[in-house]
Amino acid sequence: MIVADRKPIEEIIEYIKDRDKVLIVGCNECVTVCEAGGKKEVGVLASALRMYFMNQGKEIKIDEVTLERQCDHEYLEEIRNIVDQYQAIVSLACGVGVQFMSEKYFKTQVYPGVNTCFMGVTEERGVWSERCQGCGQCILATTGGICPVSRCAKRLLNGPCGGSSKGMCEIGGEVPCAWQIIIDKLTALGRLDDYEKLAPLKDWSKERAGGPRKVVREDVRQ
Amino acid sequence: MPLKEKIEAGGFAVLAELEPPKGADFHSLLANADLVKGRVDAFMVPEMANSVVKASSLGGCAFLQNRGFETVLQVCCRDRNRLALQADILAAGAIGIKTVMVVQGDDITFGDHHQARAVNDVTLMQLLEAIAGLKNGKDMAGIELKGAPDFFVGSTFNAGAAGGALDLEIEELKKKKGLGAAFVVTTPVFDTDIFEKLLVKLKPVGVSVIPTVLLLKSAGMARYIDRNVKNIFIPSQLIESIQKAPDKPVECVSIAGKLISRFKEMGAPGVLVSTIGWEEKLPQVLDEARL
Repeated sequence: MIVADRKPIEEIIEYIKDRDKVLIVGCNECVTVCEAGGKKEVGVLASALRMYFMNQGKEIKIDEVTLERQCDHEYLEEIRNIVDQYQAIVSLACGVGVQFMSEKYFKTQVYPGVNTCFMGVTEERGVWSERCQGCGQCILATTGGICPVSRCAKRLLNGPCGGSSKGMCEIGGEVPCAWQIIIDKLTALGRLDDYEKLAPLKDWSKERAGGPRKVVREDVRQ
Repeated sequence: MPLKEKIEAGGFAVLAELEPPKGADFHSLLANADLVKGRVDAFMVPEMANSVVKASSLGGCAFLQNRGFETVLQVCCRDRNRLALQADILAAGAIGIKTVMVVQGDDITFGDHHQARAVNDVTLMQLLEAIAGLKNGKDMAGIELKGAPDFFVGSTFNAGAAGGALDLEIEELKKKKGLGAAFVVTTPVFDTDIFEKLLVKLKPVGVSVIPTVLLLKSAGMARYIDRNVKNIFIPSQLIESIQKAPDKPVECVSIAGKLISRFKEMGAPGVLVSTIGWEEKLPQVLDEARL
């Protein structure tokens, strides 16, 4: 999933403080799972903002809605009839949803309500960690299914650097060394020979180095 | 007279572009510089123009400075992060490079290493700001330096912008000036009338605007550039004059020389002569311009 984290409320207050009518839009997908931008978080944020502005003696009408997704036209269309009533939207979707909303409702100011962080997993409730950077050329087949691009601090492709110590990365913060995990996994699979092979230079043009990316599937295109 | 003093005194500065070779043999770089020794105020050494791997600008500048030539270092945001940029700029200051020109850098896709990852950690404006900070004795983290470098700082200007794009370009020029840029080098200019008007329009900004004179090599090249390279326009009579000339290279040299003379006449602060591979013709171009 795409993992996001809540934005400090002060930042959101700063965005909307001069508006009279604001719509907060949640998303039922990834940001719901990582508890940053689902229906529950929309309600919490809306209440906190109402309380803040009430204490400031300022009247702002703050409404709430949560869509199934914000990265598809059909769900974004659900608010077409009400968008014009608001001077601004705070979207609690990931950056993808914020942008798609902003592109679709071109005359409406759309603010981000979360900080979009990475593609990752729920390690346990309240702990999410990165697993994929969408580099566009997956090498997991050769690294025992563990990704050095997203999990090694230096994105090294040919084994650990000199900073790996007792299975941990030199950057600290209890970050495991990705290459330690890769070697352990390859050992468990009896495929340590793969580790000896020199990885070719990575083609970063498939990642962001080649500019904004697009996947076009003519077979499913309408 | 050093480049900075010459421009500040209202003189006409002659800059020549010398690209370092793709290789470790710098003999040609020195030979080309020697051809116009004493006739050029400084050599501008590009940092891997068009994202094609060559020896670095810092290396080329150091090499030429060692042999008594003044140089302009290009610092490019594409390939270095803020650590590497600052490290190189400090080193440049230490070896006596007095002028730096900040460029964003062409995209990797234009070059010969398509699979490389661009850096672009800082933008052109941020790098200008960083250089102002270094001159002030602080690095980008605000930590004090042991010895601050002193540079005459420049950047780029798109002379081919028109309409709304030109307004934006002028706004950016003001920003660059605010961040310490004292001069800008433009994209190649062939229409001197349009440039003269531009120069008048830009005068209030207070930045020295140095046009690039690109030495054409053939009518075909001129036509290709005019049709395909954004922001460079070549008047058709100029292309025709190459077509009709009995000796085309001589005509190309003559065009470049006349452009330089015209820029001098109109009060431009200087020119950058870009010969892209025809550096041996630099003396003739300067002869033609009576420089």
